[in-house]
Amino acid sequence: MKALLARGWVRAVIGLVAPALFLIWWQVQALSGGAHALAFAPLESVGAAFVELAVQGSLFSDMAATLSRSLSGLAIGGALGIALGVAMAIWRPLDRLLNPLLQAIRQVPLMGWLPLLGLWVGTGQGTELIVVSLSAFFPTLLNSYEGVAGVERRFLEVGQVYGFTPWQRFRLILLPGAMPLILTGLTQGLAFAWIASIASEILLGVGGGLGVTMQLAQMQQRLDIILVAILVTAALGFTINQLFLRLRQHLLRWQAPLR
Amino acid sequence: MASTALRAPAAPAPRRQSPLASLLAPVVLLALWQLLCLSGVFPPQVLVPPSEVGRTLSQLAETGELQRHVGESMARLALGFTIGALAGLAFGAAIALSRLAEAALAPFFFAVWQVPVIAFVPMLVIFLGIDEQFKVAIVVLAAFFPVALAAFDGVRGVPGAWLEVARVYRTRLPDLVLRILVPATLPAVVTGLRVALTRAWVVLIAAELLAADSGIGQMMEMGRQMFRIDVVLAGVVVSGVIGFLLDRGAKAVERRASRWRTA
Repeated sequence: MKALLARGWVRAVIGLVAPALFLIWWQVQALSGGAHALAFAPLESVGAAFVELAVQGSLFSDMAATLSRSLSGLAIGGALGIALGVAMAIWRPLDRLLNPLLQAIRQVPLMGWLPLLGLWVGTGQGTELIVVSLSAFFPTLLNSYEGVAGVERRFLEVGQVYGFTPWQRFRLILLPGAMPLILTGLTQGLAFAWIASIASEILLGVGGGLGVTMQLAQMQQRLDIILVAILVTAALGFTINQLFLRLRQHLLRWQAPLR
Repeated sequence: MASTALRAPAAPAPRRQSPLASLLAPVVLLALWQLLCLSGVFPPQVLVPPSEVGRTLSQLAETGELQRHVGESMARLALGFTIGALAGLAFGAAIALSRLAEAALAPFFFAVWQVPVIAFVPMLVIFLGIDEQFKVAIVVLAAFFPVALAAFDGVRGVPGAWLEVARVYRTRLPDLVLRILVPATLPAVVTGLRVALTRAWVVLIAAELLAADSGIGQMMEMGRQMFRIDVVLAGVVVSGVIGFLLDRGAKAVERRASRWRTA
């Protein structure tokens, strides 16, 4: 058994058993005409829905909408997070001033802000973008802070010996030293922004996107469309996160592989 | 995405502070908020002072409405988290211990894991409706994945040498489990449980916003629909405090669980 499991193709085949059984079970439920038969969309209709959405082009516009929402949120939240995180780590009074407020904001579940934002800015795309930005803000803030605060003292001492100006100290020591964690923050921020985009789209249902399509399909009881949207969400999320991890590795290729 | 998304970002290292100083910050914050409102920069439709939020909270508590919402939310969280965590523990340990189980189930598990839990909401609504089952089910899902992964990592991380020693001493299975596997995996599992609890709470609030007849999320959503900014803010405060307490409690358990390591 062990020798058999060591072979790649055997493992691959065994790995396919569970999904295959699941699909068969699904199909049987769909065709059986039981209590939930309406809910279980037969597999061929899922395939048909995929083709339909792809041909219409709405699948691609949804992907583009969710993706651009995530990336805009990452840009806004990430820029603010890095700026504030670095500033708070360098200048302690700012840290003292803002830390309690930020910690308080962080305790509230992200989607718990939606009703309040709904009253303040309305239940539109603005609210979605704010929530997505907020989701990307905290990981970048915390990691940038840690990155700058964790720069080794001996590097700073070398800078002192060379008589660096504050700007040189920041540009040549603090920023490169903090870069690995800043990029970690951005990678985490992207993962959170992606999830927050889907979540806010499902909850608010405006502005287009994979989540909006899921929400509309739920009202029309179209499970086939929901499944297509879920599959695309998973595949696209996986792809962009992997791309970002690669990018991070590429940007940090100067760094000795510590971990 | 896998590992980065799972691990919650580290909070800034706790600084040594006297209890008084750490109490000072929230007090200053509340005072600023109150002053901001008294100064009249914001009309009361936009922001009400904390005193008003406090009054609303005590009114909600007097009528018992607050207790009902908090109780409902916590009951859902407790039930869903217990089911999800137990299933996650069993599943994670199973795929860590058996190569066959890993080959058979791990690829499927990691594929499903790529889907944000919240994206299952529309599908679950179709299957389960918008009643209690749906909200518990989404909490189960949110709790299952982090715990399963932590249990998998934990069991896989038990040093082989420990198991060899156990073999040399001919340790019986119950002893092997209770005296080696459980203590060795406990820190990782408890960390997974903490992450799962936080996730479950966040997802539950989202689900309650969408569809519920009670719970903190629903209280906020109703407040929004009735333009009661005080109720919405009260909900924000209550959900924040609950989130904070859950996290604090879980961290305390976590420290105890891994105490033997550093000691």
